[in-house]
Amino acid sequence: MQHFTREEMIWAGLLAVSLLLVGLAHHLPVLRGFPAGLTLPLSEALNTVISPVFETLRPLGRGLSLTIETPLSAIRAGLAWAPWPATVLALVALALYAGGRGLAVFAALALGLVVLMGYWPKAMNTLALVLISVPLAVGIGFALGALGHLVPRVRPGLTFLLDVMQTWPAFGYLIPLLLMFGFGPAAGLAASVIFSIPPMVRNTMLGLDEVPPAIVESALMAGARPGQLFWQARVPVALPQLMVGVNQTTMASLSMVIIIAIIGGFNDIGWEVLSAMRAAELGRSLGAGLVIVLIAVLLDRITRGLAGRRRRAGGWFVAGLIVALVLAVTLPGEALLPGEEAQRWLRRLDAWLLDFVAWSAPFFALLRDAITYGLMLPMRLGFAGSASPMVWGFSLSPPVIFAYVLVATGIALGLGWRRPGRGIAFAFAALIFWTGLPGFPWPGVFLLTACATFRAGGAGLTALATGALLLAAVSGLWQPMMQSIYLCAVAVLISFAIGATLGVIAAGNDRVSALMRPVCDTLQTMPQFVFLIPALMLFRVGEFTALIAIVLYAVVPPIRYVEHGLRNARADLTEAGVQMGATKWQLLWQVKLPLARGSVRLGLNQTIMAALSMLVIAALVGTRELGQQVYVALSKADAGAGLIAGGIIAAIALVADRLLRAPDGRSGGKSGGKT
Amino acid sequence: MTKKSMNAAVSLLALAAMAGGPALAAEPGAVDEPIKLAMLEWTGAQISAQIAGKVLEKAGYKVDYVTAGNYPHFQGLADGDIAASVEIWLNNVGDVYPKVLAEGKVEDIGSLGLTTKEGWLYPKFMEELCPALPSWEALNDPECVALLATPDTLPNGRFLDYPADWGSRAATIILDNNLPLTAVPSGSEGAQLAELRAAAAAKTPLVMMFWAPHFILAEVETGWIEMPPCKDQSNEHCIMPPDVNKVVWSGFAPKWPAAYEILKAFQITTEDQQKMMLAIDEKGQSLDLVTTEWVAAHEAIWRPWLDQALN
Repeated sequence: MQHFTREEMIWAGLLAVSLLLVGLAHHLPVLRGFPAGLTLPLSEALNTVISPVFETLRPLGRGLSLTIETPLSAIRAGLAWAPWPATVLALVALALYAGGRGLAVFAALALGLVVLMGYWPKAMNTLALVLISVPLAVGIGFALGALGHLVPRVRPGLTFLLDVMQTWPAFGYLIPLLLMFGFGPAAGLAASVIFSIPPMVRNTMLGLDEVPPAIVESALMAGARPGQLFWQARVPVALPQLMVGVNQTTMASLSMVIIIAIIGGFNDIGWEVLSAMRAAELGRSLGAGLVIVLIAVLLDRITRGLAGRRRRAGGWFVAGLIVALVLAVTLPGEALLPGEEAQRWLRRLDAWLLDFVAWSAPFFALLRDAITYGLMLPMRLGFAGSASPMVWGFSLSPPVIFAYVLVATGIALGLGWRRPGRGIAFAFAALIFWTGLPGFPWPGVFLLTACATFRAGGAGLTALATGALLLAAVSGLWQPMMQSIYLCAVAVLISFAIGATLGVIAAGNDRVSALMRPVCDTLQTMPQFVFLIPALMLFRVGEFTALIAIVLYAVVPPIRYVEHGLRNARADLTEAGVQMGATKWQLLWQVKLPLARGSVRLGLNQTIMAALSMLVIAALVGTRELGQQVYVALSKADAGAGLIAGGIIAAIALVADRLLRAPDGRSGGKSGGKT
Repeated sequence: MTKKSMNAAVSLLALAAMAGGPALAAEPGAVDEPIKLAMLEWTGAQISAQIAGKVLEKAGYKVDYVTAGNYPHFQGLADGDIAASVEIWLNNVGDVYPKVLAEGKVEDIGSLGLTTKEGWLYPKFMEELCPALPSWEALNDPECVALLATPDTLPNGRFLDYPADWGSRAATIILDNNLPLTAVPSGSEGAQLAELRAAAAAKTPLVMMFWAPHFILAEVETGWIEMPPCKDQSNEHCIMPPDVNKVVWSGFAPKWPAAYEILKAFQITTEDQQKMMLAIDEKGQSLDLVTTEWVAAHEAIWRPWLDQALN
């Protein structure tokens, strides 16, 4: 047997403590769930503090919302006034200018489809929202990014703030915004701006930092003053990176369209998706969702084209705009919109879906039961809970317990003989599988989290993680929090397994890759509400449907990152592997995947983020986790409860992110894959 | 009649009313400022809002329809960003409404006139599987309960409850009667509808908490369970039909006195609303067309509201 390292000693000690706790928990129920007697009315306390704050901010908020709503209604009126052929022509000309003929054709087809489906006026309202929120987010983001670049001292705080802004579910702070800005699009716009600022800030800092010193030097030699140096040397050089920020900000703000619609006050596409979801109409929600996808893809390609700075057809662009203007003045506005035939057509989809549900019900019931009994119940109730006549058909008798302990110990010792680390890891897995994730004794959760975060990120991370656990525990959200972690864990396992497999296939086959890209785009930009309807019909209300919805969204990052990593694996090393006679399989497992480790890890990180961000959406199908708490708080307008539950979700995301990022940072250049 | 001459006619009527009408007559008020009516998420409320708006237009007012989420829109009503909301289900108002009502920022102006119902609903085909239906005794029958059971609720049957944020008494009533059921929160109205549609299509058993009038009841064949006697008559232990009222911003009456009287008189029947819901949700006709037709065909109903307010 090999010697234990210090790290392994610590974990072995923790394992012993955890074993003891699990054993004790069978006799001491107080160890199982966080004792209810220790909870405090934190959300009420928070409400008494923040309500007056937002009341005093009200005049400011109302003023701001008036300032925003004036240009917003002007843009909205302008887009509503312009007849659609004029607007389409102007956008097609812009697409031609930014991305060439192919993009122009795509723009024409996409916008034509929007008109045909009868969503044009609502789509224009959505465009008006985006046209206001993106410049705001870009402006604020650029200012913050420049600040971060010029004053390095503020950076750590700024980065942390950005992480929080991206991971805190918007539903959680919608109520305070509503209190401050009053009813109307302003509150939703504020939420949208908060969510879409971070990519702009990050890209601004990156772009400004990476300006070659030679350029700065020569500007200084030429006698540039600080202002000139910044605006005439640094900013122009950083422009491509800034445009990447604009692109990402646009995408982020488009994904917030639905959040704005929750409040309402703006008859846009997001409202249409929500109404269709409320009536459980797949056809209508799919049509409206498709409009969002098309607008997103179009804006994405246009802003990316502009970022690439390969401009062409400037003459055509101007000519197109002039013709569009002429059309706008001469054509009547609303008269040209098509009737409601397409809407009826979309409704037919619902009948087909029902036929499919009726036909496939036995198969999907089988699938649901298999995954529920085989994966979800064991992870939730653990072996100890699942081994009952109800679930697995046998009860937890002493021989069964003995067999479990024997097998688990045997495997752990077998694995640990050569590499103690693996043995310890397996023993932990066996222990968690015994209790189920939500049933793991709470002191153990505190202890393990504290240790893991301290080893990975130091005292700061430990403070964040244990602080979040403590917050969840004393506000009575321990069970929902463990439930969230369990649901996300199952979803991440499934998403990553499927996504990585697809990514590996896509990396080896250009045709699959080309096929996968629009699918990924659609899954990421289609409002997730749309997936809920068929999932509900096939799998009914409950955790399983939530799982399906989360997986559909979280499966995209591993596909993208694994493919990216494999395709960019260093060619010389891969070649060396081939020379040494590695089989295709060996090449993948022993050469390419290790080379792509950085990218794969980032993919896993993003999978976790995506799964966590879906928790609130999953609440709509009746889960019992933190997302549901955020949702209930939203409908009760309980600002404090929403902030607390949302904050815990954000903290889980931040801790997971740092835990995964840390080893990469330590091994640094060794992994090779720069991402 | 053009809109302008209509306005003139209404003004004349109003003048005549001032000259010698009954004491009820009210000033039209700010006819040039649009009255903002809330268009909530569900078709029924949208029909009610459109009809109220079209009747107000007949009286010479300008009307704007503001799409609004049910919970957030109470804040809008309290601040006057929304002037009126004509279909508020008082069993589902969240925590903002009682607060702003107590503060006097909004005013409840009485019932909309809908005959409502709340109860436990099942798809009709279940009567073949559980012959005791519609009596609640069916839910004590082990065979019937076994049909409703799912992995999450074993050995109990699964009862699909209202979303967690609506507040529901189903769990209490299940407990009161010792029924072998477990209430599972549904998350959203859409989730309930999707389940009901799928249950009817695939013939999977389902019992859930639901309400009427609702368009789905015209689409799917369903039955209501005859409830067990209530433990007591409190809201907690007994299902009673919810009130549906009209609510206006507190500044409404001073600003548009006649419109206030019209909305106070405004009523809609369940049958009419259900017919229109069917035309919109099932036949795919537009909301505007359906409500315009109703207003054109039912002058006998709404003319007295106008006369009473203006004369």
